[in-house]
Amino acid sequence: MADSRVVEVKKLTKRFDELLVLENVSIEVLRAENLVVFGKSGSGKSVLLKCIIGLMKPDKGNIFINSQNILELTIHQLNKVRKDIGFLFQGSALYDSMTVRENLSFPLKRHFENMTAKQIEDKVRYTLDLVSLEDAIDKMPSELSGGMKKRIGLARSIITDPALMLYDEPTTGLDPITSKEISELILNLQKKLNMTSIAVTHDLICAEIIADRAIFLRDAHVAFEGRIEELTSSHDPFLKNFFSHEIIKA
Amino acid sequence: MYSILLLFYSSHKNQFSMKLPQHIYGRRLSYIDYIYNFFATLTGLTIFNWEFFKQAFTPPFEISEVRKHMDELGVKTLGIVSITGFIIGLVLAMQSQPVLQRFGAGDFLPGMVSLSVVRELGPVITALIFAGRVSSGIGAELGSMRVTEQIDAMEVSAINPFKYLVVTRVIATTMILPILTMYVVIIAILGGYLAIIITESMSFQYYQSAVVNSVEFGDLIPGIAKTFVFGYIVGIVGAYKGYTAEGGTEGVGRASTTSVVLASLLILIFDMVLVKITLWLWPTLG
Repeated sequence: MADSRVVEVKKLTKRFDELLVLENVSIEVLRAENLVVFGKSGSGKSVLLKCIIGLMKPDKGNIFINSQNILELTIHQLNKVRKDIGFLFQGSALYDSMTVRENLSFPLKRHFENMTAKQIEDKVRYTLDLVSLEDAIDKMPSELSGGMKKRIGLARSIITDPALMLYDEPTTGLDPITSKEISELILNLQKKLNMTSIAVTHDLICAEIIADRAIFLRDAHVAFEGRIEELTSSHDPFLKNFFSHEIIKA
Repeated sequence: MYSILLLFYSSHKNQFSMKLPQHIYGRRLSYIDYIYNFFATLTGLTIFNWEFFKQAFTPPFEISEVRKHMDELGVKTLGIVSITGFIIGLVLAMQSQPVLQRFGAGDFLPGMVSLSVVRELGPVITALIFAGRVSSGIGAELGSMRVTEQIDAMEVSAINPFKYLVVTRVIATTMILPILTMYVVIIAILGGYLAIIITESMSFQYYQSAVVNSVEFGDLIPGIAKTFVFGYIVGIVGAYKGYTAEGGTEGVGRASTTSVVLASLLILIFDMVLVKITLWLWPTLG
C-alpha cells in the first residue's frame, strides 16, 4: 500500500439483521485530503464512519489506517491507532458532568501523562482560541448553544493533534449561517493542522467548503465518486433530485 | 438452557445486552419473549460481572475517581438514610415495647432493638434505600451518556469507558454502603432510645450498656459483611442497566426504573442466601 493512503476501506459489508446497510464498499483517502461522504438518511454514512473508528465491526471486508488493518488489532493496539484520530459526533457528545475546561483537558490528562497542569491549561486555552470560544472555558455543556457545542466538540477532537479527523454530520441541526461558520472553521483547522479528514454529511454548503473529493452512498453501494462539482452537475436523476432539494434548503 | 444462552450470547457480545424488544412487529411480548428477556438480562449481567472483575484488578486503578464517587454517593444518601434509620429504630421500639412488656420482658427492649437493627434491619433497609437512590441514579446517568454517545466519545478517544465509568462506580458503592450502614445502625439505636423515654424513664447510660451487653462482635460482622455484597449489587445493576441502555430518553427512563427493581430484588434474594450461609458458618448466632 502506498504511504500516502491514510485510510483504505476494502469491500466493506455491514448488515443489521435483515437490513443490508453497506455492501462491498471500498474507499481510499490520501494524506491531507478531505473526503465527503454523501447519502440519504439511513444510507449507512455514519455506520461507515463508526466502522473506520472501530465502534462497529463490519461483517466482511478490511479497514486499513496508516497500513494497519484495524480489524486484526487487539483493543490495546486499536487504542494506539485511535490516539491519532479525532472524531466529531453528530450531537457533539460533550461530557455533561464536566466543564468545557475539563472536557478538553480530559484526553490530555489521559494520554500525555508528562504534561504539567500549566501545559494542559495552555493547550486548552490555545485550542479554545482556535474555535473562538475561550470565554466558554468554565461553562457546563448545558449552558452552550448548538453551534457552541459543535465548536467545543471540535476543539476536544483536535486537542490531541490527530492526523486524521472524522466528522459525523458536523453541521446538522445548525442554522445556515452557523453551519457555514463551522464548515469554514473545519477547513481552516485542517489547513492549519494539516489533517486528513472524512466528513459524513448531507449538507451541500458544508461539502462545497471542505471537500476535495466526494462519494455518494446509495442502496448500500458507492454510487458516485469524484469532485463535488461533478457530483452536483451529474445527470443521474436521483442525484439531480437529491441536490435540487439540498440547494433549495440552502 | 442457561449455558446455551451464555454461549450464544458470548459469540454475539458486541455490547453487553441483546436487543430486548418491547413490541415485535406490532404485537405485545409473549411469555416466551419474557423468558428470553429474563435469560438475556441474566446472561448479560453475568458477562458484565466477569468484565468488572477482569478490569477491577488491572491498572490504572482510577483511585481519585473512586474517591470522588464515594464522596458524592455518601453526601447524596446521608440525609435520607439518617431519617429512615431514625424512624426504623423509633417504630421498632414503639411496636415492640408493649409486646415485650406483656410477656414481662420489657428489660430486653434495648437488646432486641439493637440486635434487630444490627443483624437485619439496618443492613437491608439501608441497602434498599441506597438502591432506590443510587442504582437509579447510576442507571440514568450512564444511560444518558450511552444514548448521547458520550460513552462512544470516550471509546474513540482511546479511554476505557468501562473502567472509568463502571468499575469506579461499583467499587465506590461497594465501599460506601458498609460505612452508611454502620451510621444507620447507630442512628436507629438512638431512635429506639427516644421511643423508650417517651413512655418510661431510662437513663442513656443504662440504655447504652444494655445495647453493648446484648450485641456481640459476632452479631456485627455478618450484618456489616453482607452490605459489601449489597453495595456491589446496587453498583453493578445500575451500571449494567445504564451502560446497555438504548432507545433514547425512553431507554434512559427504563434503565433507571429497572435498575431499582432488579437491585432491590437481588438484595432480598442475596440477603436470604447470606443469612443461611452465616447461620451455617456460625451456628451460635442462631
